[in-house]
Amino acid sequence: MGSSLLGLLAGLHVWYWFDGSSAALQFVESYEWIPSLGIKYIVGIDGFSLLLVVLTTFLLPLVLLSQWSDSEEPSQRPFLALLMALQSGMIGALVAMDLVFFYVFWEAMLIPMYFIIGVWGGKRRIYAATKFVLYTVLGSLLMLAAAIVLYLAHFRQTGVYSTSLLDLYSVKLPIDAQMWMFGAFAVAFAIKVPMWPFHTWLPDAHVEAPTVGSVILAGVLLKMGTYGLLRFAVPMFPDAMVQFAPVLIFCGVVGIIYGALTAWVQQDAKKMVAYSSVSHLGFVVIGTFAVMAGGELSVEALSGATYQMINHGISTGALFFLVGVIYERRHTRMLADFGGLAKNMPWFATILIIATLSSVGLPGTGGFVGEFLILNGVFQASPIAGMLASLGVLLGAVYMLTLCRKILFGPLDNPENKELSDLSAKEFGYLVPLAVLAIVMGIFPNSFMDKTKPSIERLAKSYKSYSLDYRMGRDMGHQSAN
Amino acid sequence: MNFEVPSLSLPFYGSAFPILFLVVTSIVALLLGVSKLNTPKVNYGLNLFAIIVALGSAVYQYAISGGAGEIYLSGGFTAGLLGFWGQGLILFCAMVVSILLGDSYMSPKFFRGEIVSLFHMVLAGMLTMVATDDLVTLFVGLEMASIGVYALIGYTRPTKLSQEGAIKYFVLGSIAAAILLFGFAFLYAAAGSLRISEISRAIGKVSGHSWIELGAILTIAGLSFKMALVPFHMWTPDAYEGAPTGLTAFMATAMKVMIVVATIRLCENGLDGVHGVWLSTLSLMAAASLLFANVMALAQQSVKRMLAYSSIAHSGYMALALSAMSGAGGGMSVPSILFYLIAYVAVSLGTFAIIMWLENERCENVIVDDLTGLAKQHPRAAVALAVFMFSLGGMPPTVGFISKLYVFNAALSNGLIGLVVIAALGSTISLYYYMRIIVRMFMLDSTPVLGALIKPKKSLATVGIVFVSVLIVILLGTVFPEPVMQIARKTAGEVTGG
Repeated sequence: MGSSLLGLLAGLHVWYWFDGSSAALQFVESYEWIPSLGIKYIVGIDGFSLLLVVLTTFLLPLVLLSQWSDSEEPSQRPFLALLMALQSGMIGALVAMDLVFFYVFWEAMLIPMYFIIGVWGGKRRIYAATKFVLYTVLGSLLMLAAAIVLYLAHFRQTGVYSTSLLDLYSVKLPIDAQMWMFGAFAVAFAIKVPMWPFHTWLPDAHVEAPTVGSVILAGVLLKMGTYGLLRFAVPMFPDAMVQFAPVLIFCGVVGIIYGALTAWVQQDAKKMVAYSSVSHLGFVVIGTFAVMAGGELSVEALSGATYQMINHGISTGALFFLVGVIYERRHTRMLADFGGLAKNMPWFATILIIATLSSVGLPGTGGFVGEFLILNGVFQASPIAGMLASLGVLLGAVYMLTLCRKILFGPLDNPENKELSDLSAKEFGYLVPLAVLAIVMGIFPNSFMDKTKPSIERLAKSYKSYSLDYRMGRDMGHQSAN
Repeated sequence: MNFEVPSLSLPFYGSAFPILFLVVTSIVALLLGVSKLNTPKVNYGLNLFAIIVALGSAVYQYAISGGAGEIYLSGGFTAGLLGFWGQGLILFCAMVVSILLGDSYMSPKFFRGEIVSLFHMVLAGMLTMVATDDLVTLFVGLEMASIGVYALIGYTRPTKLSQEGAIKYFVLGSIAAAILLFGFAFLYAAAGSLRISEISRAIGKVSGHSWIELGAILTIAGLSFKMALVPFHMWTPDAYEGAPTGLTAFMATAMKVMIVVATIRLCENGLDGVHGVWLSTLSLMAAASLLFANVMALAQQSVKRMLAYSSIAHSGYMALALSAMSGAGGGMSVPSILFYLIAYVAVSLGTFAIIMWLENERCENVIVDDLTGLAKQHPRAAVALAVFMFSLGGMPPTVGFISKLYVFNAALSNGLIGLVVIAALGSTISLYYYMRIIVRMFMLDSTPVLGALIKPKKSLATVGIVFVSVLIVILLGTVFPEPVMQIARKTAGEVTGG
């Protein structure tokens, strides 16, 4: 717990000193790792990774708080150790600025998640955990092959072995090579997002994972996919990206609508939230690939996408926590078993409604800002996709409000439900920050977006000749502090 | 060939010391066997002493040797970096296996005079094979090693299973040896020399000679048998399952090092000139091994059988790297194989150490279901085995990942994209059966089958070996891959001329 708070402090420290006016990489550290292959240890943060790093460090203390118990369970210690390992894996993948270094963390994240789902999960946990790992690994290995091809192309063009992103962005490839490699990268990330039609592992993994596992999975792990698309697939293979963009937008739109419709008919609250993730991440995907008429990416859609990543992490994280709360009390998640809980659990109801509204995208919550920006951008790029995606927003409201209605309202007729107690102090402790943040993000979006804006504008305008310059942001921070 | 009387100098005795010393200790062990001193303890001590001395000597020779070394006995013995590297690794495997056998229920059966003698003969043969430039010497070394191992499999544990394994290995192995010899004969007939390096020169002059091509193909087929590449892999599961586990570990590690090093030397130094003929065959076998072995491993219940198929698949990765040896990125190929060998040896020894430790009470083969609930009974062993499984599956942050990265890199520098995609598929499949073990150890709750029955004796040596293996697997995967890569590069310089 202590170390996670230290992590949060470090995250906030980074947030505070991050120079929001620049698109450059900051806090860069670079060392040789495997010089004979040109693999380096380079870490740095820019506008894309900043919010996600802070989100990660923000979620972990809450997750640990939810695990806090007086009983000294023997299985508790390895569980916490795995959470910490997962945390370092996620942050490592977010800050790595070297392709191989990134890949190491990207794959290493799987191991702790595998054990979290497989050991502490539900009935079909082994099936879910195995499916999760195999899906991700297959995509990743193809990505690794493409990455090596890119690295060799860089060597042929410059005569230097390097896997650093700063160098690899400069590689110019013919369009057909780009298509293959973009395909390999996109599939790897699409599996992680997960984008329709690669989403089938997600409901299994979510349903079987313990609450905490679901929260981390939805909160940060899925964002690795969309982050990867933004960080690697788009700027490295710009021409192929333009070619593929309609396909990806199509998949995104199908994901939005399919996810929403599937969520609607679910009887299991957790499954419903899981499918809602498929739908919400569809928005992020179409936001990422909104190519405007002039060949530029839409700045609005991109900022919406990055914002929606964070917002989805918070609202869906809260929803999974809330489902966990009732599951702990009743050991069921079937919607039919509940009803009328608002009467004896008013605080639970309040927070569930805030999370739902944020997830639906009601103005005043973070969800609204993200979805509005995305739709705004997508409409300009492709009106049809925009219209269909708006339908997804509507459907989102339908199924999320169904969830609320079935759990919270109606007659409190099940005798078991009458005994349920409202949130405990511990549950307050981890739910209130999420609820507060969901609202704050809706009312003051600019304070979050200012820091990411330069990076986004730069990617949107110049992704065809994208480059990363970097400087030691930390030193600047200290100077301005003096 | 002119048979001049070789002038043997002190440097020769120095560089051939590991081989000569093991021949001597082999005779000593045989004599001890008929004396009053024939106790497991004495034999164990003699065995370990001899191997450690030979290992020290090989490492010392490696350290003082520079590049392509002296050639003695008109090619019969070359004192080069690659040879000493192979000898060192083989002796290291032999040392670890001996220690493990000393801890196991096999100890009184294995540490008898005649068996230790046989074991040292095998080792002398292996050391000869990795450090020779002469086809006949290479063959003699190979047969010394193989025949000894057939006997060791069948003799040390007389059960039906092990005898089946030994006979199968023997019959098929003899045919493979005949094929190899047939290939050598063609090479000799065409090139007029048995020296590997001279064959290479002769190929330049008689290019397109069909005898050379035939010889090359037959040679590769014979070597693939010993490397256990599909379709020459049939003996592997039976021999691995039948042999006492200590010897299985020995076959999986030391025998593999021997055959791979000899193959590298033959391919790089001898047959490079006609690589157009056999390279595609090798790639095909690599692809077949990667797919077939990984699929077969899915269905195995016996852990040793599963590891046998896994070993075939890992041979496939090495063959994949070897198929990239000519052309633009050829310089990467041999170092990547050597790095792969080190990684594979470390992981395999650790895995087999744990399996032997589990087997001690029951004296029979462990099946996958036996591992159920191991994490509750012996959490540390379970964690170590999980690390090894992830490394075999190639997950970071273990050395398995780095070695695979290195092999893929070598293959892709030569444009073998299709093969790498197949390898990626194979890796994904393989992860499934490695995870089956993890699932049983950590995630299944049913009553522990083996874990409850067994109270394996605490053994400091086994624990130490497992601990060191875990350390190597993690450290080489994260912090220190570079120094080992430098060694692999330097060693490969002997045959690639870099």
